[in-house]
Amino acid sequence: MEVPQASSLPAGIPRGLARRPHLAATLLRWRNAYHLRRVRVLSVTALALALVVALLAAASTSRVLEWLAGNPVITFAISAGLFGLAAVRRQARMQADAATSWLAALPATRSTFTRLALGSAAQLLAFALFVELAGVTGGISASAASGVVLVTAIGAVIGTLAGLRLLGRAAATSPGWHYASVRHARRHWATAPSLAPLSYWPLAKGRFFGRPKMTSRVVLLTLLSIPAGLHDVPGQVAIAVAAGCITLVTLLSLSAAVVAIAGEAARWLAPTTIRSWTFVSAFVWRVALKQAAVLAVVLILAGAVDYGQALHVGVKVAAAFLAASCFCSAAACIWACRQAGLGAAGRGA
Amino acid sequence: MTAVLQVGSLHAGYDKLVVLAGVDLEVARGEWLALLGPNASGKTTLLHCIAGMLVPSAGSISICGCTLRQDALGAKRHLGFGCAPERLPGLLTGRQCLEVYAAAKALSAVDADVLALAEAFAFTGMLDRFVGSYSLGTRQKLAVLLTLLGEPALVVLDEAFNGLDPASALVLKRHLRERVSAGRCGVLLATHALDVVERYSDRAVLLLDGRIARGWDREQLAALRAMPGEGLEAALAAACAPSQGQ
Repeated sequence: MEVPQASSLPAGIPRGLARRPHLAATLLRWRNAYHLRRVRVLSVTALALALVVALLAAASTSRVLEWLAGNPVITFAISAGLFGLAAVRRQARMQADAATSWLAALPATRSTFTRLALGSAAQLLAFALFVELAGVTGGISASAASGVVLVTAIGAVIGTLAGLRLLGRAAATSPGWHYASVRHARRHWATAPSLAPLSYWPLAKGRFFGRPKMTSRVVLLTLLSIPAGLHDVPGQVAIAVAAGCITLVTLLSLSAAVVAIAGEAARWLAPTTIRSWTFVSAFVWRVALKQAAVLAVVLILAGAVDYGQALHVGVKVAAAFLAASCFCSAAACIWACRQAGLGAAGRGA
Repeated sequence: MTAVLQVGSLHAGYDKLVVLAGVDLEVARGEWLALLGPNASGKTTLLHCIAGMLVPSAGSISICGCTLRQDALGAKRHLGFGCAPERLPGLLTGRQCLEVYAAAKALSAVDADVLALAEAFAFTGMLDRFVGSYSLGTRQKLAVLLTLLGEPALVVLDEAFNGLDPASALVLKRHLRERVSAGRCGVLLATHALDVVERYSDRAVLLLDGRIARGWDREQLAALRAMPGEGLEAALAAACAPSQGQ
């Protein structure tokens, strides 16, 4: 059998990273991911490039970039805020990871600053490339592009440094702990056999997907796409757009949750004798009910503004969305059942 | 015998939940100490504090004379900690994991001893496969190999025999016993495997309600082993009974 040779030992790791295991492991992981999933990596890259091209071709992109170039103070504030937030989140994630990481007990630095700086630099580089490309393709003038990049870079540096100092050591302890405190015990909980609790799983995951931190980002990005002063957008329209965003994120989060965890749930129940359609209905019905309830509330509110439109357009759209969501959820569950070998539809049956 | 680990009045917990409430512990070089306790008694929390993965709220931890609070890197230089198998990176190969660990510990090569153990585990054929494709037992073997890299003076293992096949478990028990007997290290093993405690460890302590509730020295363990019937198992159940009944 082949045994690793002493001389070959640090060969896979660049010399400069030998005492920085977190960086070395990340580099090796990326390299392996590329070799292992080359098609997937290239497909995602191609998709990203297509998105960049589409964004460059859109007229609104030029308007937004011109507006950013004309308002350097606001551009700086947005950049500093976003990069600061990103730094805080990245640092919190690193601290949480440090408490359980396989590298935690090693006598080596965690390279927190370098990892943070590299992340921010990559984001800044991507944005700068995008803006400069817009400058080259004539979306905005070259001087305006350089201005936006410069102001954003200054904001990024200051934001990242501020983010680094903001979090401090507050989150250094106890992430990922496994002692659950029971707030209140449900009466008759788990005493009668029932598949009903299964339906709470996608609901909880959907709540996690649509948590305020995620929703606020979508709302912020959507509202930023309506630059103030360029259009005659009244305030109530902006509020309506924000509300629509929140509703849409809620609905899509629930659908995404079913698709995301159907496989896990099917694998968990694969050793049982549950039939696939029983699984599908038990898993999906509460999500469908919640979506229907949300849509009903939206329709009632829309009806208060314009009863006719709500009845003729709103009901059709709501019904179509609900049907599409149920179809996607059911399809994901059936596919998960087949993969996991659950019920009569299983491969192993 | 010199102490490789000294834990004094250690308090630790998660948010408002107190898990360790004044733990005192000492492991000497050339000693194998088994840490026993019912589920959720705080064994893993104690080990995480020793590895510097969890910051205790009070108390002191010293590894080979280096306190974890003041000289964390110095303390960790003497520490071999067995990480949880599920925390190993799925996208790295076993060889790459060994490389990263060896480089971080400033080794020029993997110890011959560890390579011999890998051979004895029948693990060398798995070295160039991704950790993500490993079974639980194979991950456990890799975690053990990483722990023993660099000749640590203190070896800390959490349920290290979980998932290992009987032959590999026997290899590991003998290997650790040899290291301990040769005075190369001290071992702190959190486990529920009472056969390991009875046959291989020098001392055992019971962690209960956040404190060390009982201890058994080598003679007492030998006496329990010689007892007809349940031995340590019955003694442990009796010691835990009042706490679990609450």
